[in-house]
Amino acid sequence: MSADDLLARLRGFVGAQGPVQVARHPVSAPAIADWCDAMGDGNPVYTDADLAAKSRHGGLVAPPATLDIWDRPGLPAQARFRPVAKAPADDPRSKVMRLLEEAGFVGVVAVNSELEIARYLRPGDRLQNVQLLEDVSEEKKTALGIGHFVTTRHRYTTADGEHVGDLLFRILKFRPGTGAAPPSMEGARPAPDPAPSLRPRPGINRDNQSLFDGYRAHELRIPRCQVCGATFFPPTPRCATCGAFDIGYTIGAGRGTLYSFNVVHHPQVGGFRYPLPVGLVELEEGPRIVADLVGVEADQLQIGMPLEVEWLDSHPALVEGATDSRGPISVPQFRPATPRRREETLSAATVQDGDRLPLWVLPVVPTQIVAGALATRDFQDVHHDRDLALQKGSKDIFFNINTSLGLMERYVTDWTGPEAVVTALRVRLGAPAYPYLPLTFAGSVQTVDADTGRAVVAVQATNELGPHVTGTVELELAP
Amino acid sequence: MTRHTYAGQAAIVGIGATEFSKSSGRSELQLALEACAAACADAGVEPAEVNGLSTFTMETNPESEIMRGLGIPELTHFSRIHFGGGAPCATVQQAAMAVASGVADYVICYRAFNERSGRRFGSGVQDRPAGATAEEAQFAWTSPHGLLTPASWVAMFATRMMHEYGVTSEDFGRVAVADRRHAATNPAAHFYGQPITLEDHQASRWIVEPLHLLDCCQETDGGQAMLVTTVERARDLRQPMAVIEAAAQGMADDQHMMRSFFRDSIVGLPEMGTCARQIWETSGLGPDDVATAVLYDHFTPFVLAQLEEFGFCGPGEAKDFIAEGAIEVGGRLPINTHGGQLGEAYLHGMNGIAEGVRQVRGTSVNQVEGAEHVLVTGGTGVPTSALMVGAYR
Ligand SMILES: [Zn+2]
Repeated sequence: MSADDLLARLRGFVGAQGPVQVARHPVSAPAIADWCDAMGDGNPVYTDADLAAKSRHGGLVAPPATLDIWDRPGLPAQARFRPVAKAPADDPRSKVMRLLEEAGFVGVVAVNSELEIARYLRPGDRLQNVQLLEDVSEEKKTALGIGHFVTTRHRYTTADGEHVGDLLFRILKFRPGTGAAPPSMEGARPAPDPAPSLRPRPGINRDNQSLFDGYRAHELRIPRCQVCGATFFPPTPRCATCGAFDIGYTIGAGRGTLYSFNVVHHPQVGGFRYPLPVGLVELEEGPRIVADLVGVEADQLQIGMPLEVEWLDSHPALVEGATDSRGPISVPQFRPATPRRREETLSAATVQDGDRLPLWVLPVVPTQIVAGALATRDFQDVHHDRDLALQKGSKDIFFNINTSLGLMERYVTDWTGPEAVVTALRVRLGAPAYPYLPLTFAGSVQTVDADTGRAVVAVQATNELGPHVTGTVELELAP
Repeated sequence: MTRHTYAGQAAIVGIGATEFSKSSGRSELQLALEACAAACADAGVEPAEVNGLSTFTMETNPESEIMRGLGIPELTHFSRIHFGGGAPCATVQQAAMAVASGVADYVICYRAFNERSGRRFGSGVQDRPAGATAEEAQFAWTSPHGLLTPASWVAMFATRMMHEYGVTSEDFGRVAVADRRHAATNPAAHFYGQPITLEDHQASRWIVEPLHLLDCCQETDGGQAMLVTTVERARDLRQPMAVIEAAAQGMADDQHMMRSFFRDSIVGLPEMGTCARQIWETSGLGPDDVATAVLYDHFTPFVLAQLEEFGFCGPGEAKDFIAEGAIEVGGRLPINTHGGQLGEAYLHGMNGIAEGVRQVRGTSVNQVEGAEHVLVTGGTGVPTSALMVGAYR
């Protein structure tokens, strides 16, 4: 079949509708609470009935990012889990996919997901959706390979026909191996091994041992005169303020602000990842210390930004039980301070185009990936089963789209406060979010209208592999 | 006002150097002996008359070997100054104090190394084992976090300077452009005939942001020496003398070795301020009396801070002071007319002292009119030193 013939056959399905997909269970408060737990979303309009009743919603609502989770078929849809083969699906997208696979376009990757919210869901709503095959693109050259973009639109209604929102979903079906060749690494010097144990060990002596003992216990000890209470850094045996040789310590809260920084490019040595941002951190308690900055890109660094400690157990003991330089070493690193959830909803009048949201660094761990997948009723094995994820060519399990969307929604609504109304979430998908790669959310106000309260916030969540999601959250702030 | 009593009583009477290269092909000791012998020859003094030596604690060539190689029968003064590049002007101060007080008659200040082909200081402390002396243990606060090189230490100050004073990378670049312009006409300079533009500076790769490659000095193999004696003896020698009008050392408030990150303010160089106060008080001079200066330039940002510490401009004003070519030949204060350590050679500042002497003699390749008093400074960000040399009248 020629490419033109294939495209004609594919496009024959454009405009076709699928069967109505009906949720097995209504929207429910316990499922909402599980979702909030998985996302770490503390917005009381989702879980606190009393507060929700007094809010603009007049009662509990579901997070808008949950629009497309309620009518999912759930675990029984998983072929591996279900011993009996099911009949081929007969919705238009499935038919298009089968045609593409027969033509060699066996690779698949989700590209865009856009949720438009007509109204917030409430416990008790029973949802259904109808799929419309909106578009099949002509053959395109992409970085992954030659392929076709397939776009579907899903219209969500309640069982009695009330329209509550829409989902636009775009995937790329591509021929593996036809993508751009990776850039030549010939002549490039290989990056040094970043294993932290290759870092220089600190020289530990009687004057500084107490600090390193504290570091081993993940205590940010700050030298303090036991007589006059003066604090200082680095340690020294005599208090310059009162002359006492009685030096103890106080334990810092692990919070501070960025006083200065640099980004090391050369020379590159083992133990570090380059470019390496290093901060001079002014601790809440006063003294400054030097520490690596993690979960933050060089161009996101700003003097004055709030930071919090993240401990790195850098070196195992060279000599078991040693408490000097040969013992185990832990060092403080700092990441952008976790932003606090705003209690009072932000007024549009106080927001301006270009305003930046504080950075949020999420330490991605397997439990959160699994919890997010299950809370969004996504039972695809690549989101919870590492063995199968590896078999399918992935490096590990990774966030499903709805978890990424949920976290992005939480990031923005933590900043806006509880009663901002989300009207749309639109993302382009990029690098996978694997465990142990911190995911950094950054956002800025794209537009805001003080009269209507409407605002668009641009968000990007990035890990060391690149942008994971890039998109916008559209919402209405307090007037 | 305190005036150092030895000031004006001693002079630099001879300068000598090897060629500056990236691979000398000979030992550090040979480089040192060549430079010392050349300084004596320049002055017309027999090495056997020398009875004092002063150098850096980092110097690998001990006074005993210099003594043997030069054929010096007896030494009555030998002293060393610590803290790397902070030492150069202090070795001259040691010499001046020694000859003015009668401890020695002729003192050679010397520094020689294969810093490019041998142990490179620019590579920092990455391969240094974790010692735990009081000095070594200070690296515990930076090395495990990846700050392992002088560039990585200086860059921390530079970012804060940019933040507080609105200094830009282009402002740092103007220092590099000036140095390289001066090196371009100096046949002894590594970058002879190779001036750069601000665009070249901006396009050069990052070493440690905010420092580009062209913000960082070179690494050099070579040797440099100066011969110091009393003004009285100097009158009878071959070369016009460069009188040591003032010399100073400085450490200040919460001092660390290139890592004084813990001070109330990190945008200035208070240890250089300590030197500046002594230089002006002892010499009786002020910024308006100085037509050219050799300002230590291992990294460009601290050149700006030095202009402020010496009062050529107010705090935060250096970026305006250096605009419009003010620090290039023809400007208000041409600096580093030999090309500096970015352009000529990195000799721990000792080659800058030699250039100060040439300006006083009137023999610089970029001679500045009216260079009667020349300011020379030692390493920045470290415990440091400074020197004022002038013509004999
Ligand atoms: Zn005390």
